[in-house]
Amino acid sequence: MRWIHSLSSDEPAEVLGGKAHGLVVLGRLGLAVPAGFVIGTEACRAYLRDGRLPDGLADELTIAVASLPAGQVSVRSGASVSMPGMMTTILNLTVDSIEPLKKAVTEVFSSWNTPRARTYRELHGIPHDLGTAVTIQAMVYGDRDHRSGTGVAFTRNPNTGEPVPFGDVLFGRQGDAVVSGRELPLPLHDLTAREPKVWAGLLHAMDRVESHYRDACYLEFTFETGELWLLQVRPGRFVGAAAVRVATDLADDGVIGREEALRRVSPEDLQQVRTPRIVLAADVLARGLGACPGVAVGMVATSTDAAVRMAAKGPVILVRPETSPLDMRGIAAAAGIVTARGGPASHAAVVARAMGKPAVVGVAGLVVGAGSVRAGDRTIEEGTLVSIDGTSGDVVVGEATVTTSTAESHVCRLLGWADDISGDTSERPEPDRLRAAHIALSQTKARRKPE
Amino acid sequence: MSILITSRAPDAWDPPPGLFDQVTGRAVDLGADGVIAVLVLHTLRCMGFATLSRVAGAAGLGESDVQSELIDLAVAGLVTYEPGDFGGWSITPTGRSAHAAWVADELDAAGAKVAVAEAFDRFLPLNTELLDLCGAWQIRSGALNDHTDAAYDARVLAVLVDFDRRAGVVCAALSAALPRFGRYRVRLAEALARVGSGELEYVTDDMASYHVIWFQLHEDLLVTLGIPR
Repeated sequence: MRWIHSLSSDEPAEVLGGKAHGLVVLGRLGLAVPAGFVIGTEACRAYLRDGRLPDGLADELTIAVASLPAGQVSVRSGASVSMPGMMTTILNLTVDSIEPLKKAVTEVFSSWNTPRARTYRELHGIPHDLGTAVTIQAMVYGDRDHRSGTGVAFTRNPNTGEPVPFGDVLFGRQGDAVVSGRELPLPLHDLTAREPKVWAGLLHAMDRVESHYRDACYLEFTFETGELWLLQVRPGRFVGAAAVRVATDLADDGVIGREEALRRVSPEDLQQVRTPRIVLAADVLARGLGACPGVAVGMVATSTDAAVRMAAKGPVILVRPETSPLDMRGIAAAAGIVTARGGPASHAAVVARAMGKPAVVGVAGLVVGAGSVRAGDRTIEEGTLVSIDGTSGDVVVGEATVTTSTAESHVCRLLGWADDISGDTSERPEPDRLRAAHIALSQTKARRKPE
Repeated sequence: MSILITSRAPDAWDPPPGLFDQVTGRAVDLGADGVIAVLVLHTLRCMGFATLSRVAGAAGLGESDVQSELIDLAVAGLVTYEPGDFGGWSITPTGRSAHAAWVADELDAAGAKVAVAEAFDRFLPLNTELLDLCGAWQIRSGALNDHTDAAYDARVLAVLVDFDRRAGVVCAALSAALPRFGRYRVRLAEALARVGSGELEYVTDDMASYHVIWFQLHEDLLVTLGIPR
């Protein structure tokens, strides 16, 4: 076939897209991936050039679909570089003829060029002519029964780098429910009691993918009637203290060399390594997405008026379903902001960052009433003291312990290696010590290159 | 100056004389002065809470004119002033109800509902795009952008200029439907010009920044179309 590739293809991510390339890796590691195939990026480029699906693709689709088990399919975008949430994904597509599939593929190809996707590429320096691959797989159903579900998992804690599995699971739901934020997900660890076989399978998968990528990884999974299926894998791309800790731990364990550990940490990671963080032995009320780093502690206010009134007595955390311009005054008065809806790209997040206020947004399942806030089966009243962590997204009842040194010993060790490489042990800011090591490493690499 | 003169504080919602026809309850033709009063009320509704100079700046009117309108609106119970650190002018619950009714009438009278709704459909993807853009301006590799990388900032600002051009098309459609939307084009252009002259706080940080004005435009569209948040 010219346009379509199998999920055991040797083609690089430039052809298969990052998502399908990850699926190929998962399959090779012996992990369960739903049957499927991928339309390469070349077909997308042809579509973008000619304005129609390339000749021969429809015939190839007919043959490829016939090789899948009967039933519905998922149709997912996936470029060679990550563009999260920018392009179309279609679930539960019934393929009684090839037409709906052609339409879905066209839709995914077209989504490459939405103004939003173009802007994203401009901002992140991604060329416009790459195109996206399209992965088509047999559906597995996280909402089939009470022994089904879906989730996301990190092999290590993405907030701290701690080597423990971390993530969310939703029982009886499909994948889109996890990202929609409408429902309150459970901690990944809840699988141990409810679906021990799925949990064991997930631990096994985490072990395999970490060994393969030699890095912390991110996984998306669904389990259908107790059977685990993996839908996506990629290296974790941790930042800040978590990046420092993972790189240093991996080098300590001999998984990667010290030079590689240094390359994986950026001066920006070091700059934010001492951002204040909540020490989590605390009473976690809910978790959302960190939108502006920092910790704030204060009394819950559920309206802008209350925030302004209460701010006279002490620090306030403004908790809102979402924000309107009417809330800008409350944000100004508050020490920190929590919103139930919206993501890191929401008006509330932009305003919070503009005002330098720690913020947690998109707290799934948080219900803000008049004078109280409910999360799951707990209700707290206005005026209750809470702490929020704008990096991890944790909302904690009471005054949490705060630290600025979650990765102190790791930073110290890593920078020791940096000084060894650069040969410079003078007193300098930490990011400069790392930069010097990066320069020394790139010079060594250049010297090694044959003339 | 204004025809919104009443000496009593309205109880619950009691349309002030002059703003609404007492028999039909519909907004009446106010003449030039009344239009200014409603414009001030509307501006404040979309801004949420603001100082006199900000309301005047947003409405494109002189401060003394706006002040006298605000005082009249306050007498009518539609707006209120709070002193203090976070003080300023804001709309009262009565003012919100009166304003919602007026805006619905305005939309009907202008026959602009379809045009504004269509423009709103085009606004929404632009809104997502601007929020991505503001995110990229504020955060880089998970850390707050310290704006030391001029090349990166220049790239983001180039995208903002391109965005503004496309946003201008939707703003033009809105002003064609309801002329009062024309202020946003002017204000966004002012913010962008200040960014261009190196005042970087006019991207997201200042109360008259591009994002804050856009946020108010978003609110205006929701309010005008009667869509709850």
